[in-house]
Amino acid sequence: MRRVVLLTCWLATDAILFIGTYTLAYFIRVGLILSTDFPIDLYLRTVLAVAPMWLATLTALGVFELTTIQGSRRNILHMFAGAIIGLAFFTLAYYFTNNLFFSRLLLVYAGVLSFVVPLIWHLAFDQWQRRIYRKLPAAYPLLIIGINREAERFIKLLEEKQSPFRPVGILDPQGSSQKDVAGIPVLGKLNKLEEVVKSLKPTHLMQCSNLEHTINLMSVCRQHRMTYLLLPSVLGVVGAGETVESIEGQNVLAVKGR
Amino acid sequence: MQSFILAGGFATRLWPLTERRAKPLLPVAGIPLLSTLVGQIPGAVPVTVSTNAAFADDFKQWKKSVGKSDVRIIIEDAGHEDQKLGALGAVAQWITSENIDDDLLLLAGDNYVGCSMATFLAKFHGNPLIAGHDIADPEAAKAFGTIVLSSTLPSPGSPAGPGGGGGGGDTVTSFEEKPEHPKSTIVSTGWWVLPKSVLPILVDYSKAHPDNVGGIFEELLKRTIPVECFVFKELWKDIGSFESYMSLHCDVVNGAKIINPSATVSPDSELQESIDLGPKTRVNKSVLRNCIAFGKSTITDCVLDRCIIDEDCVLEGVDLTDKMLRRGTILRRR
Repeated sequence: MRRVVLLTCWLATDAILFIGTYTLAYFIRVGLILSTDFPIDLYLRTVLAVAPMWLATLTALGVFELTTIQGSRRNILHMFAGAIIGLAFFTLAYYFTNNLFFSRLLLVYAGVLSFVVPLIWHLAFDQWQRRIYRKLPAAYPLLIIGINREAERFIKLLEEKQSPFRPVGILDPQGSSQKDVAGIPVLGKLNKLEEVVKSLKPTHLMQCSNLEHTINLMSVCRQHRMTYLLLPSVLGVVGAGETVESIEGQNVLAVKGR
Repeated sequence: MQSFILAGGFATRLWPLTERRAKPLLPVAGIPLLSTLVGQIPGAVPVTVSTNAAFADDFKQWKKSVGKSDVRIIIEDAGHEDQKLGALGAVAQWITSENIDDDLLLLAGDNYVGCSMATFLAKFHGNPLIAGHDIADPEAAKAFGTIVLSSTLPSPGSPAGPGGGGGGGDTVTSFEEKPEHPKSTIVSTGWWVLPKSVLPILVDYSKAHPDNVGGIFEELLKRTIPVECFVFKELWKDIGSFESYMSLHCDVVNGAKIINPSATVSPDSELQESIDLGPKTRVNKSVLRNCIAFGKSTITDCVLDRCIIDEDCVLEGVDLTDKMLRRGTILRRR
């Protein structure tokens, strides 16, 4: 529910910002007047029509995904691409509907503003929404399976980055005597899995060890509508650029040799 | 004599098979391990099975199916491993609460012993008796209670040689529970007889060591009470892991195809080596080798090798090796 409300807010504010940046570009170019040569109502009507297309582009590029790091290079490039595509949509839409030429400089202003302003807003919004997601009860409780240094590093990373995925408990197939790992309680062995899933209601399960349990952990996730996640180190993939790719439509885990 | 079967473990290493089923109720050649054990107990000996609250209903259900009237189930009030009384603690509690004043046949419910219990009991002459088996592997012996017999002690001048158990009763000179450096490869197998005279020692010992069944024999030897051992050569397995369960399955089924009358196997399927298919299992167009399916599962277009499949699974178009599948697993290749 928190996700739906926050995502709706995010999309709405983005739409407002898109329209706002284009309006600002108009007044920067034209001045603080309502030009009769270049009527603002035609201009804004086109911006309004293009805004959903810009949002759809950003959505398709995965900008609003929960796992996207807003400040990452990849996301900044996606937002830049989104701004360019938005600008292209606007130019085409304005030309086809009004059959008029207009200022090229205005397009530069609109393009720059519709990239920079939403990007700054995304960085701020992301920090705020992380805090909201992490408030107890967490929006995305994460159950960790296995205790090892990789699991500990991962838990610490989630805490450090204030990730929306909040670890709530650990089950260790080996029956570790540790009471907690980085502050997250160790709740027992896998025979407690059903009980823990029912009581903590995790939305995600991260397997950090014991590859032999993969099928059964996925089975538990399917039955409880949880998302199963696998730390690549379980497969022996450590420090490599692993990606999920598709070969002839068949998904494969690719680890590029360097 | 009274018999007491220890069946209160949670068998976490056999997860997910033991998620909703106690280890002694796992099928071996189509029959619950516990039924095989109870079937070996002489008819005149009453049976008490000790289990925990998590599996209580399963044992009550099992009791209805076992062909022996004098079977009693006692439930240890433990829903989880960390709430357990301990195996020896459970025995002690039963002895105390029921005022048991009889010789005790103590049995581990998760051990498969291939020798005759009558032969074992015939070796009981009033001293504590252990059934031992020579596993001939010092490394593996570290996980069990090891027994040194007077007959296997090296005589002066002869080379020391652990293991090499004989075929009959013998006096135990030392017993070590899970030793770091085993002195012998003869291990305790989960069949013990304790004369009524030592039951107060057991109750007393259990207060400090509630989970150390083997430790009672160390205690008896410490008190210079003679302990005897019957070493058998037939099959023995302690079902503690996937490997040991699969190995027991292969040894007991021994290449046979055990197919429940309500199970179906299509003519284009191939069953290789040891196969045990439980009730309402359906196998279509698949190749199965050394597999156990507990029942009510559908296996279509699969190649399964050394797999144990719990109930209500649906497998379509998958190849699996060395897997245990939990109840209700659905794997369909799209």
